Amino acid sequence: MLTRFRVEGEGERSSMAENDDLGIERTASIQNPTKPSSSIGARVRATHDDDEDEVRVSLRPVLPHSSSDLIHQEAARALSVMDSFHQPWLTGVELLDDANRNKHVLPTGLEGIDVLLGGGLREGQLIEIAGPSSSGKTQPLQMQVCLHSASCIADKGSVMFLDTCNSFSPNRIACMVNQFSGPLFKEAKERRLERIMSSILCQPIYDIFELLDTLHQLESTLKHTVKTGGYKICLLIIDSISSLIAPILGGKSPQGRLLMVSAGIVLKKLAHEFNLAVLVTNHMVGGEGGIIKPALGESWKNIPHVRLVVSRDQQSNVFTATVLKHTMRASGRTAKFVIHN
Amino acid sequence: MEIANLPISASQRSKLLSAGYATLSSLSSLSPSHLARDLNIELQEALEILKVVSDAADRSKSTDGHHQALKGVQTAWDMLSEEQMQQHITTGCEDLDHILRGGIHCGEVTEVGGVPGIGKTQLGIQLAVNVQIPVEYGGHGGQAVYIDTEGSFMVERAHQIAEGCINGILDNFTDHDRKILACQEWMQPNSFLSNIFYFRICSYTEQIAVTNYLEKFLKEHKDVKIVVIDSVTFHFRQDFDDLACRTRILSGMSLKLMKLAKTNNLAVVLLNQVTTKYTEGSFHLTLALGDSWSHSCTNRIILYWNANERYAYIDKSPSLPSASAPYSVTSKGIRNSTSHCKRVRMM
Repeated sequence: MLTRFRVEGEGERSSMAENDDLGIERTASIQNPTKPSSSIGARVRATHDDDEDEVRVSLRPVLPHSSSDLIHQEAARALSVMDSFHQPWLTGVELLDDANRNKHVLPTGLEGIDVLLGGGLREGQLIEIAGPSSSGKTQPLQMQVCLHSASCIADKGSVMFLDTCNSFSPNRIACMVNQFSGPLFKEAKERRLERIMSSILCQPIYDIFELLDTLHQLESTLKHTVKTGGYKICLLIIDSISSLIAPILGGKSPQGRLLMVSAGIVLKKLAHEFNLAVLVTNHMVGGEGGIIKPALGESWKNIPHVRLVVSRDQQSNVFTATVLKHTMRASGRTAKFVIHN
Repeated sequence: MEIANLPISASQRSKLLSAGYATLSSLSSLSPSHLARDLNIELQEALEILKVVSDAADRSKSTDGHHQALKGVQTAWDMLSEEQMQQHITTGCEDLDHILRGGIHCGEVTEVGGVPGIGKTQLGIQLAVNVQIPVEYGGHGGQAVYIDTEGSFMVERAHQIAEGCINGILDNFTDHDRKILACQEWMQPNSFLSNIFYFRICSYTEQIAVTNYLEKFLKEHKDVKIVVIDSVTFHFRQDFDDLACRTRILSGMSLKLMKLAKTNNLAVVLLNQVTTKYTEGSFHLTLALGDSWSHSCTNRIILYWNANERYAYIDKSPSLPSASAPYSVTSKGIRNSTSHCKRVRMM
């Protein structure tokens, strides 16, 4: 892909061409202004294969008698500004570096699941947990796993919980947090509870369009906090995404599937750019032969990076998790884990 | 953002796309009359479409450059204290209230299901009456909305239950001071009946319409604290050919009901019927409408018979442990069961 940059100003032209290591040819030309008091309003045009971006860059005024060095300096500055708009490709080495430095593994606190996932939830990935709903137990299993992960991870960074079925129970999280804490005095326990609970944010969402809006807002908020160094979200939970998509999926128009795939794309982009793990829950529906399978159909199967199915063993506290899909590990492996009341 | 991601109807979207408008920017500087001419629609519709477009454009533009806090976000710590102050609506039976930690939770959708004759409608009417207990007597002093799809609401029975409830309260409070007794004038069964808003639904389209209308209705009647739908399954069980369509309609309806419950802080009670299911070589009873519906409610209570006694069992709840409690249906309404009580005839 060849990228050309052209900087135009008023007045006399002077141009500069550069080839950097990626073999991208960039040319910048600045014309000298005829009037000394006016500043160079350079118009930068960058052309790619697909589209054109046009950006206005204003540079320092260059007098007609300035040396060509100054003109070249200004051109170089224009090129560096252009660089920030143009996203270069990443090489494999850079990707590996990014993965090692930025994409940490967040343990869920449930041993069996952590073993299956190779340590826990990996930042930068979209993980789906599917499981049947009430079959003789009080709390939906997927919700319990979500709450458990939230209470474990809230120590390290903020957790954002988007709740579609009013199942977010602060009491239950408080119980789980108190289970993990060792022997502490009452005030210290209270302060720890407050600190952890204050880093879990919850928002109710009842509409797929509300979800897309919230994700776009979250994206711009995170972009801003990256610059200012504010609080860092490391886990985003959506419980459950199937109840948002079920009302629109199916029927004659492909609109529902389009919205589902757009939501998946936005979530994966958020996960990769801002180094957070995204956990979504799904429910099960009946398939052929009476075997239950995860809802949302064939198109959804390709969207998450990791898919797990959890189920309960016979009215006990022991649960089984099976890997349906994983980007780095073999699928089909199972593990058992326990959630205490 | 694309046109496809906007919340407009499918016919409007297809008209926009066939006329060539695919992105937000192509619509941003268009006049409504021009759009109406292009798409061959009414001016009012064109105005609505442009409003949706400008809202979406505003949202994406205003977040450039400055930090905007996400709306509606709360921390778990704040919600913890809110949850402890959550209101409950008493069911009239102390054992049942005990396992529910106070009663039916406000702000959540509760599904109650059971075999015919177990007392689901009775429970619905009892809750619609109990929500009106004045605040001075420990109630909410609110109003109720009763949406009847089966025609099983009987006004005489509601009158009887209201009478039973009022007499029960007055019996407990006879030795209180005059201030409380002052509201005795409007503690009459007729005034209780006047605070129940009754909708009679005859088809599933009417049911969808009422759910959509409730939002506006609740804005005008802010005192409503409970919405009872009896029963939510009746119109969806027979004559519904397209099961996928049924799932879509039901999940859309349940999302709307959850949103109503949360934003207006009221309790939504859905009464459901049972069906038989064949799994693992045996038949057993489950609630109707299938597996996908079971995700649509926050709490689930199953009513069943156990040796001539009625029991209620909490099947699904985010914060309550599984438990069951006996109750009975008397002429005064739902009350505690006495251990030697047999199946009681009403009226």
